Amino acid sequence: MKVANEFRVPLWVVSRGKNFAYGGAAPVLSGSVVLDLSRMNRILEVNEKFGYALVEPGVSYFDLYRYIEERGLKLWLDVPDPGWGSVVGNALDHGVGYTPYGDHFMMQCGMEVVLPTGEVVRTGMGALPGNNTWQLFKYGFGPYVDGIFSQSNFGIVTKMGIWLMPEPAGYRPYLITFPREEDIEQVVEIARPLRLNNVIQNAATIRSLVLDAAVFAAKSQYYHGDGPIPDSVARRIMEDLEIGMWNFCGALYGPPPIMDALWTAIRDSFSSIPGAKFYFLEDRKRRPDILAHRAETMRGIPKLTEFGFLNWNGGGGHVGFSPVSPTTGEDAIKQYRMVSRRVREYGFDYMGLMAIGFRELHHVTVVVYNQNDPEEHRKIDELFALLVREAAAEGYGEYRTHIHYMDMIARTYSWNDNALMKMHEKIKDALDPNGILSPGKSGIWPKHLRERSDA
Amino acid sequence: MRSAVRTTMAVTSLVGAALSAAAAEPTGKEIFDRHCIHCHGPGSEPGTPQLSRTRGAERALLTERNDLAPEYIQAVVRNGLRSMPPFVPSDLTDAQLEALVQYLTAPR
Repeated sequence: MKVANEFRVPLWVVSRGKNFAYGGAAPVLSGSVVLDLSRMNRILEVNEKFGYALVEPGVSYFDLYRYIEERGLKLWLDVPDPGWGSVVGNALDHGVGYTPYGDHFMMQCGMEVVLPTGEVVRTGMGALPGNNTWQLFKYGFGPYVDGIFSQSNFGIVTKMGIWLMPEPAGYRPYLITFPREEDIEQVVEIARPLRLNNVIQNAATIRSLVLDAAVFAAKSQYYHGDGPIPDSVARRIMEDLEIGMWNFCGALYGPPPIMDALWTAIRDSFSSIPGAKFYFLEDRKRRPDILAHRAETMRGIPKLTEFGFLNWNGGGGHVGFSPVSPTTGEDAIKQYRMVSRRVREYGFDYMGLMAIGFRELHHVTVVVYNQNDPEEHRKIDELFALLVREAAAEGYGEYRTHIHYMDMIARTYSWNDNALMKMHEKIKDALDPNGILSPGKSGIWPKHLRERSDA
Repeated sequence: MRSAVRTTMAVTSLVGAALSAAAAEPTGKEIFDRHCIHCHGPGSEPGTPQLSRTRGAERALLTERNDLAPEYIQAVVRNGLRSMPPFVPSDLTDAQLEALVQYLTAPR
């Protein structure tokens, strides 16, 4: 940091650089030195009694899982789909997983941060010398500042606490399939009160047909034409893989009588949708199988299986469009129709999921394309800009994005003459006077580079 | 994206470099088990089923193949291939890549 400040060299900081579809290790500002923290990979503490870990940014989910397994600790991780990702980096980028601890930044507790000028700060209770609650109580005393180090360029997080789930008394993953596209409206409307009341306990997902098919199959197994698959092919895939047009993956956690009671409420609620089918793991004989795969993820076992979808059409490239919407059926079907129509217009298959938060949906659409084809890149750029513009016009904003689109997304958060960005810039100037740290991250630029790309 | 200077460099952290210098170099098997096995091990996904689909079941596991040229392994690791992302020198140093190549091309 001292050298970077002295010579005004921009640093782009990555924890492990595995944030593919969001830019990987690549910087927004070409010419930045990439400060790769992947070898800062010490697991400093795992506390079984209170259920937390204190880790450095180079620790992957695979690393932490192995550590817990080798010691036989009764703790479960919450993992996103890329098991090789950084525990710290994923939480800082507001990543999500699929257990009851699925909101990773919500489960973060206590940081050590190197500020751009070189000072080292501990947040929350960590600021109290000799404290014994750094990973137990998030807020300490005074303003809660941890949030300003997420999706930002205000400091380098070198240690972070993350809460871990005590191993539950029982675990029962389930799959509910729905046969029609329009079912998404009723599914979400039913899911909202169940999630708000913790009847649906985990960060469950409603996954589209092609996303689930693509994890294990190639498009060429079903269709050789150009453009998105037609309805007749969709029907054949549904029959072949025993999945629906929408597939609700959830899980029950806890003592068996509690799981039984929760399941009764869930099954009875979704039974009102014609054609809904209900499965536990023992009902799924085919392998590979989407529930068998998701059952491991919803139990916190890190994997890379999900990225089989990149082989759907052989192109290997993917980008995620992830607007946030209220958990209502009306919004869900509106979102689905807006996005899927545009994606198909541009010749891609719709691969999406709706991750159910407590009060909102992350509608994550993955567009898989040929990364070696410049024309596909051009189409993706055009499509993405259109999606962002149309979503923003309806009040939907992205929660996370690829480095290439950070300025674009930041500009949609423009209420009151861009007041939020102006505040970000004041913080940036105060903490990083030489503007060396991750210029352009989340659309936040240092003063000397602040002529916006749209200016 | 904007451009300030032409070259993008990847560096490891000072702490990482110090740890790396102090630690013994990992073996090819250790490198495979850390970086590759999660996709390409027995039962791992998506690498193993994808190779089974495109190369045949008998060529699905990298550790059982005799047909991988060192240059091919190096090119795929550094540049990626389809769903496999590239591994840059801060993931794997040139020396570690060479150890991995030796491991995967050793006579079986």
